[in-house]
Amino acid sequence: MGAPDRATIFPALAAILAGAGATLALLLAETQWHVAVVALAGVAALLIGGRAGFGDAIHRSVASHHRVTSATSWLAGAVVVFLLREHNFELLMLCTVMLYVLAGLGLTVQFGFAGVVNFAAAAFMGVGAYTAAVLMTSTGLPHLVVVLAAGVVTALIGSVLLLPLLRTRGHYAALITIAFGILFRTFLEVNDTLGGPQGLKVPGLQIFGYAFNEAIEFDDETEWSFYTAYAGVFLVVLGLAYTLVRRVERSWMGLALDAVRLDETAASAFGLNGAAWKIAAFSFGNFLAGIAGALYAILTAFIAPASFTFGDSLLLLSIVILGGLGNPLGLLPAALVVVVLPEKLQVIQEYRFLLFAALVILILLLRPGGLMPRRAREYFPGRSS
Amino acid sequence: MSSTARALLAVLLATASLASAKDTVRIAFIGPLTGGVSANGLGGRNSAELAVKLRNADAKAKYSYELMALDDECKPNVGVQVATKAAADKNVIAAVAHYCSTVAMGTVDVYHRFGLPVVIWGAVLPDITYANDFKEIHRVNGTMINQNETAAKFMVAQKYKRWAIIHDTTDYGKGHNRYFSEYLQKNGGQILGTFGVTADQQDFSAELTRIKELKPEVIYFGGITPLGVRIRSQMDKFGVKAVFQGTSGIISDAFVEGLGPLAEGVVAFREGAPAEKLPGGKYFIEQYAKAAYSDPPEAYGPFAFAAANLVMDAVEKVGPDRKKVRNELNRTHDYDSVVGKISFDDHRQNAVPLITKFVVQGGKWLVWEDSEYASGKRPLVR
Repeated sequence: MGAPDRATIFPALAAILAGAGATLALLLAETQWHVAVVALAGVAALLIGGRAGFGDAIHRSVASHHRVTSATSWLAGAVVVFLLREHNFELLMLCTVMLYVLAGLGLTVQFGFAGVVNFAAAAFMGVGAYTAAVLMTSTGLPHLVVVLAAGVVTALIGSVLLLPLLRTRGHYAALITIAFGILFRTFLEVNDTLGGPQGLKVPGLQIFGYAFNEAIEFDDETEWSFYTAYAGVFLVVLGLAYTLVRRVERSWMGLALDAVRLDETAASAFGLNGAAWKIAAFSFGNFLAGIAGALYAILTAFIAPASFTFGDSLLLLSIVILGGLGNPLGLLPAALVVVVLPEKLQVIQEYRFLLFAALVILILLLRPGGLMPRRAREYFPGRSS
Repeated sequence: MSSTARALLAVLLATASLASAKDTVRIAFIGPLTGGVSANGLGGRNSAELAVKLRNADAKAKYSYELMALDDECKPNVGVQVATKAAADKNVIAAVAHYCSTVAMGTVDVYHRFGLPVVIWGAVLPDITYANDFKEIHRVNGTMINQNETAAKFMVAQKYKRWAIIHDTTDYGKGHNRYFSEYLQKNGGQILGTFGVTADQQDFSAELTRIKELKPEVIYFGGITPLGVRIRSQMDKFGVKAVFQGTSGIISDAFVEGLGPLAEGVVAFREGAPAEKLPGGKYFIEQYAKAAYSDPPEAYGPFAFAAANLVMDAVEKVGPDRKKVRNELNRTHDYDSVVGKISFDDHRQNAVPLITKFVVQGGKWLVWEDSEYASGKRPLVR
């Protein structure tokens, strides 16, 4: 403690505050002008902040005050949820963003850390979603167990792809995952017991006898949206998953994954089993995607094959790349852009995807490494090495 | 300023504020504005918007209306999102929603939970109204049940007895197969074989060879245009001589253009009627043309128009209150609209749906009654 090169905590707190504020502003913006202003301000902040070196200051400050900043982040998330407690739609969007970030975390481990491509992330979410739907309707398992089971089943089904994935590289491996995505959708569409193309209803979440689908009423005057409870649970799940992924990244496991991604031959010369690390990363990523899918099914209460298409997989992948490949923190702004922005552009109706696509291209033109590119590994966090 | 001028100004201001004193009532429109079926969504959107514009131009209307158009992308998860958006917005009194059945299946619960009265304008799956008893959900268009009931009765009346069925394995094709088979058997038709094919299948030699052996008089096809074109042309190559009977999904210009002379004598059925055949169709077409939209209203445009008017009439009658509007919509009986009379049954499904029979004659889809096939000049089987 008290090392001379410890940075002050203020940049980190300011960044968290700005992040929470931007999230709230984007979610609550109603007219197209508000949306445009918030989006442009966000992009400008990132660009100017990056040039002026705020990024480094924030980074040093976070690294020096790890506990305080992570506690503040949790608190900021809870405050955002609390402030939105009566806004059904905004909470639904926030929940969706959190689940996309959760799935994006899985993809980051696969693609960003281990270098295993996965063009079927939405299909894996779908596996989790359908597993949860079936388990919730046909068994009496507690719902928390169901969600975990959905993650495990997704990882197991994903292991079908392991053999072909380990034997191929690059584009060929990508094709295998694309094929899996198409296979998954076709399988669902011809399978009547899983609802066929028409989809399945999913019951609401119940944890320890508490039914999540009921609005939270205090008295006649105040009533919180039932999504508040969902958002709270998702925040906890996301926070745990994020912490876990961060710890993995910083540990010797993250180091091994990086080595395997950068040069598998060199890694194996140092005694690392490339195949084993890829299997671990792929399965863990699918586990997270499965959990995200299960929660998504419960949240929207209805799932159909059309919700887990190749296009959705690309959307997830674009979140990971837009955020900055391999940087879990970048997922949040990227998911906000990819999930919330098209929704906020509803006012321009059929032209919204045109504008949205142009904006994404613009962002990647100005920041080719994504909104928050991954930094070089620091072996002694907090010290300017 | 002189006192007269001031008085004049006051009067002017007063009238101006009187003219704009109408409360604004917000209505949501939800449909697929982007993606593969966006043509239908845009047609529906324009039609609903037209209804709102005409109503706002009407000096007698008690409220002025604002249409909030939302895009469901024909995807249930996006549908739930926008449905929540509309339903959670307390200013939205009612919605005119959904072309895609799978989206409507996902969103009905949302409307019910938030108590937003909704009139479905295009989705045809029966379950949307019949698998629940939500007082919020109404539908002005017919379902595939009605379409196939008419189809089966009509074809049996043409003295056909033996059918082979090819359907795609989407909800659309499977639903059509289910209801057509049901009504055909009820009416005494015989089904020799049923073949499910995927919507993007290219080669049908296996199915058609088998069908040729079965010697059906009619091939019933449940699916949409591209698949229908492929099957009909390959039927010709395999020398399968049978009447080709389709569903609403093949009634498009692309079907006739894709097949050329082979399309001759193909029959199909659709909910509703061509706009010009509708009771208020002429009025609708005129107004739609006057508004100069860049996209056509498509088949379900008049239904969206009728649904929007139905909703606005309910608001005019009972005021902008969701519960009252819902009860008013529930009571709809013999309501005059551009698509004919609307009466809701106990599941708030329009009980008098209109089904039109079509046949291709001389490279065009004609209403059966107007064709030379109906008058007996041309026979159906070549």
